[in-house]
Amino acid sequence: MTSAGAEQALKDRLAQLRARYLEHLPDELAALSSLQGRLAGKEQDREVLDELQQRLHKLAGSGGSFGCASLSTAARALEQRIGDWLQVRELALDAPTRRSLANELAALARTVPESPERSAVRWVPEAWSATESAMAIWLVEDDAELARQLKQQLESFNYEVRVFKGIDALRRAVEDQQPDLLLVDVMLEDGRENATERLVDCPQVQALDCPLIFISVNDDFPSRVRAVQLGAQGYFLKPLDVPRLVSRISQIFEERHAPAQRVLIVDDDADLAEHMRLVLTAAGMEARVLDAPREIMDTIAAFRPELVLMDLYMPEYAGTDLAGVIRQHEAYIHLPIVYLSAETDIERQIEAMGRGADDFLTKPISDLQLVAAARSRIARARQLEERISKDSLTGLLKHASIKEAASREVLRARRIGRPVTLAMLDIDHFKRVNDTYGHAVGDVVIMSIATLLRQRLRQSDIIGRYGGEEFVAVLPECEAEHARPVLEEVRRNFAALEFNHQGERFGSTISIGMVCSADYPDQDGPELLVAADEALYRAKRGGRDQIQQAFPAPAPDVTDC
Amino acid sequence: MSELQRILYVEDEPDIQAVAELALETVGGYTVKTCASGEEAVRDAEAFAPDLILLDVMMPGMDGPTTLEALRGIPALAEVPVAFMTAKVQPSEIAHYKSLGARDVIAKPFDPMTLSDEVRRIWQGAA
Repeated sequence: MTSAGAEQALKDRLAQLRARYLEHLPDELAALSSLQGRLAGKEQDREVLDELQQRLHKLAGSGGSFGCASLSTAARALEQRIGDWLQVRELALDAPTRRSLANELAALARTVPESPERSAVRWVPEAWSATESAMAIWLVEDDAELARQLKQQLESFNYEVRVFKGIDALRRAVEDQQPDLLLVDVMLEDGRENATERLVDCPQVQALDCPLIFISVNDDFPSRVRAVQLGAQGYFLKPLDVPRLVSRISQIFEERHAPAQRVLIVDDDADLAEHMRLVLTAAGMEARVLDAPREIMDTIAAFRPELVLMDLYMPEYAGTDLAGVIRQHEAYIHLPIVYLSAETDIERQIEAMGRGADDFLTKPISDLQLVAAARSRIARARQLEERISKDSLTGLLKHASIKEAASREVLRARRIGRPVTLAMLDIDHFKRVNDTYGHAVGDVVIMSIATLLRQRLRQSDIIGRYGGEEFVAVLPECEAEHARPVLEEVRRNFAALEFNHQGERFGSTISIGMVCSADYPDQDGPELLVAADEALYRAKRGGRDQIQQAFPAPAPDVTDC
Repeated sequence: MSELQRILYVEDEPDIQAVAELALETVGGYTVKTCASGEEAVRDAEAFAPDLILLDVMMPGMDGPTTLEALRGIPALAEVPVAFMTAKVQPSEIAHYKSLGARDVIAKPFDPMTLSDEVRRIWQGAA
């Protein structure tokens, strides 16, 4: 009924309102993160959390009206999580939980799309990690040349580096800002200032809620002990093995981003189950209570718990029955199951454990004990899983796993109608590196490319070590035109890295072959990998240190020579 | 009951006010009076003589439910249908708001293009 003109006017007005909303949004998001910064892990946090919850509630209620449906969804999830925390009687948010909240608040900004989202179904490619705000590393180093080199190398790995000449400068800076990681030289001012000694007297710096790494020329025991006492997560000797240092740093950051541990609670006492859920949620885990015993396998398949807390005695089915059903499924043979029961009869406990469970917790169990038991079991299960599927040097998937992932993603791409891009990367003249500098140095080069890939690709991308110096990256829901600039950046950054062997500096390069499923609608994973390998071969023949893309024959004209 | 024409809308956030006014006036063709607080609504509602009242739940000062109670105390408005607008829409909460005397609950965030349809649906249910 409205004329085209009126409709256009309406659209324009909506766009204006959206622009105004987006203009205010950064201030609101900044207010949220400054509130988060006030959390201290104590009972007094309640007031701050209350305000955070209210403001998130408002965001949840407004975003969608301005074309930011994902912002609403994300804000609502956070609002609910904080609501759960507030229900726990004694509030004590530990540092990892606060950090994960900080990360998720920061991530809200990235849910805002460039153009309005109208429907609930959306396809905005997930942000590339390179566009996320870089991690801030503060380096305390008075040797200007070393500081310059380190800064340059760390920046190749997308870190933001700020250099301080001494502890005093650092102390002034921490008054209004915080790094994500602190890297401190132990000996400053030619040995006149020992940083570990100085830091002991710096409560402001010690209060920083960030990981600390020391670098030192001396392997002396007192400094090492001091470093441990100051909570350092690393101690690196000079001359610095930068790739190993970077690998450690990225590992520390990755641990922070590890997904929340997932626990399934099976208990017929609904109040107790809800209490356990709240306690685990407050500890930063994701916990779910099973509604009906019959749904256990569906729930496990959908929720993918890493631990099942199972009441032993329930009216309909015993815990041992349900554990037995879980164990009938091969995929869940290793899923940790812990029984919960008031049972104190040791013989009956042993009998119950003989039937598919890993441990026994006796009720009443304290909140702290529950959290500790769940956390340590899941951590161990994760470590085990890593050992099985990951390459020990790089932490990337092994050959079989990445190949399987490629096949799976190509099938999925076809099913959902969105392309997947596969890339095969190979270090140029790697044999020469190994022969000239030895295998230990070769390993460092391999680790560096692994670290770069992990950093530059998205969380949803899958990376594996395909062979000795060959890697495969699987980029789901990604067209070649989006993949190319990112891979190009990886290539460029790798070429900019400087390696060091007994004072001799050298660089290395990689060649990349990529293929997009959109160009090969009928081919499966292994066939696409062959095509990527052929493109890689072309990149090698074309002079290395470059990317080539596979196209179905006849290949279009390639302008380079 | 007559046609839905006049809507009193109570919301404290300017951004949301603006988009809801656009949705109700331009898209829906209604006459809208916006109040920025429960207090303002209680003061001005009788003079405006609304056919329907939309109340945000979470507002500083008088919140939605308190405002509803105060409006119900004004004889001329006792029968005017009220709908809450809120970002929390668990079934139990909807039931709770209805028990306070609201006709219905509109989930936030609302879609500006369909808000007036939703309001009309509530009105027809009330009529």
